[in-house]
Amino acid sequence: MTDAKISIRNLFKIFGEAPQEALAHAKAGMHKAELLEAHRHVLGLRDINVDMQEGEITVIMGLSGSGKSTLIRHLNRLIEPTAGKVVVNGENILDYGDARLRRLRRSNMSMVFQKFALLPHRSVMENVATPMIVEGAKKNDYETEAAKWLDRVGLQGQGAQYPHQLSGGMQQRVGIARALTSNSDIMLMDEAFSALDPLIRTDMQDLLLELQRELRKTIVFITHDLDEALKLADHLVILKDGEVVQQGEPQHILMHPGDPYIVDFIADINRARVLRARTVMTKTTDPVPVDSEVSATATLEEVITQGGGNADLTFRVMNRDRQVGVLPMRDVLAALVATQGVERTEAPAA
Amino acid sequence: MATYDWLFDSTGLRDWCDGEGGSSAPMSMADLMSQAGKAPDTSVWQTPFPSMDALNDACASFPQARDLTRGLERGFLDIKDSLSVVLDPLTQPLSWALEAALWLFQTTPWFVMIPVLALIVAVISRSARLTGLILAAFGGLAFINYYDYAMQTLAIITVCALIAVLFGVPVGIAMSRSDRLERIMIPVLDMLQTLPPFVYLIPLIFLFSVTEPKLYGIAVILYAIVPVVRLTNLGIRMVDPEVIEAADAFGMTRRQKLYGVQIPLALPNIMAGVNQTIMMSLAMVVIASMVSAPGLGVLVLRGIRNLELGVGLVAGFGIVLLAVVLDRSTKAALARVNAVQKG
Repeated sequence: MTDAKISIRNLFKIFGEAPQEALAHAKAGMHKAELLEAHRHVLGLRDINVDMQEGEITVIMGLSGSGKSTLIRHLNRLIEPTAGKVVVNGENILDYGDARLRRLRRSNMSMVFQKFALLPHRSVMENVATPMIVEGAKKNDYETEAAKWLDRVGLQGQGAQYPHQLSGGMQQRVGIARALTSNSDIMLMDEAFSALDPLIRTDMQDLLLELQRELRKTIVFITHDLDEALKLADHLVILKDGEVVQQGEPQHILMHPGDPYIVDFIADINRARVLRARTVMTKTTDPVPVDSEVSATATLEEVITQGGGNADLTFRVMNRDRQVGVLPMRDVLAALVATQGVERTEAPAA
Repeated sequence: MATYDWLFDSTGLRDWCDGEGGSSAPMSMADLMSQAGKAPDTSVWQTPFPSMDALNDACASFPQARDLTRGLERGFLDIKDSLSVVLDPLTQPLSWALEAALWLFQTTPWFVMIPVLALIVAVISRSARLTGLILAAFGGLAFINYYDYAMQTLAIITVCALIAVLFGVPVGIAMSRSDRLERIMIPVLDMLQTLPPFVYLIPLIFLFSVTEPKLYGIAVILYAIVPVVRLTNLGIRMVDPEVIEAADAFGMTRRQKLYGVQIPLALPNIMAGVNQTIMMSLAMVVIASMVSAPGLGVLVLRGIRNLELGVGLVAGFGIVLLAVVLDRSTKAALARVNAVQKG
């Protein structure tokens, strides 16, 4: 069907006493508020279709109640859907029996939780080794492997501690190490950094990106924080009231928000820090007179800093020593207020 | 004339009432007075509730309240024999266990028993003060010649509390896993807990011979099992759902989840239940002395029956001492479980 690692097809989830009845209404076009009003059923997810590519970070973003945590729990069937398909590695996991589902959870998917969800009565080492202990490994078998991942997340020598002796940030490092120990190729992260304070959150995001460069896992990351989403995402899915409002490459969503809801959503972010040169540049490989060079992945903030505040410069945008486009400073400045620009240019057309 | 004659007259049941010949009940004062020809003037204000007895006045065939209790008694006696056939062999091991424990606790000489008890407490509590308290308590009881009685009580509690925990924890676990079982069990537990302790004894006396230890053993266990069942159920249900979710997400089986996550995390609550179970078996073992349970309760009973104030008070004080010792020891064990789990 597709070569995506995980693909979700026509997924519905309805909470209530007679979900199948309510499902018919939802399929007929009812949305969350109407369904609750008319039939006393809560629409968790409505007609979700998302493809998650191997080796990418897919970020699912939405405010509380948007169904993002419900959605991620469908990927390892902690929640059963009302209708639809979840295809992982080409197999519909909803057809799985108990034993096959356990194998999926043990070897294909691991999960990191918002409130860490470590086992308080087990040491850090045992917590990190949980996936191996579940498989029946003894202390000798798991010790080196668990220690390796503890080192990798920066917790050398903390194995003998108990979770409550660690700070929140360190506990979540244990959570990540635990997920890595399972050696699964898919990692589900449910608001993994939301309970941490901002500085530590930034650290953890950097840690995740660093690990990801090395391990190339398929990561599904849930967050309500747009800055975090933009920093991590290769593919961004925005949920609202259980429905996908827009999905795509984050830079693309920023430049072309497809819905007033998203326009509102992205209105408050620091665009200079998020938008990159390659997104705003004019694509050309023709040599043109330029003042300076910037990297394709440089943020606009870096471009402005490099220009020293001069608004008349033009940059050559480089990707691995090859020119991929040019970027006049005027476009940089225009992009900083582009949200309104998009609306203005679209309004007369409509 | 009785108040509710009209009821039977109007429904055409009068024939049925008179058919089986007069009331079987002895005459009441009201009957006598009406026979004497001086029927009392009854005003509306004195209208009796249409109870079984009032209706019996109007209709002799209608059963009296005492027929209800007598019927219950007869019913119980009818099934008693077949019930005994089933229950006797099932509960026989309890008698053996109690007899063995009583024998063991009483034949072990004091200079072995007291140090062993102190050692056990020292190991589970790691507290020198508590160990000292144990030595002082049993030394004191032995000094006033109450040692044997205290040991009998302790032997019964040991067996009964152990069995209560052995059955109570699995029942609590089963309850925590099935909402339906919980709905069924909660009223049963409520009843066991609120039923006056004496009431347990009544059917047991009919079922078993008073000379058998299992008679009081069952009464103590039934009374004491409630808290450990309740708190095991509650403890497992209160385990952080996120941790359970994590256990599921990493593919634990139900068994791995139960033994690796739920029971260890519920352990503080389960231990609190064990503590309560021990306390309640101590309370019941005193009452059970009315049905031949040996121990300090016998002395309390003697104090009441023979008005031996001193004996009753000292025995009561001995029970308090035993309670303090048991409570402190189990709480110390509980505190150590807590210390391991969270700080």
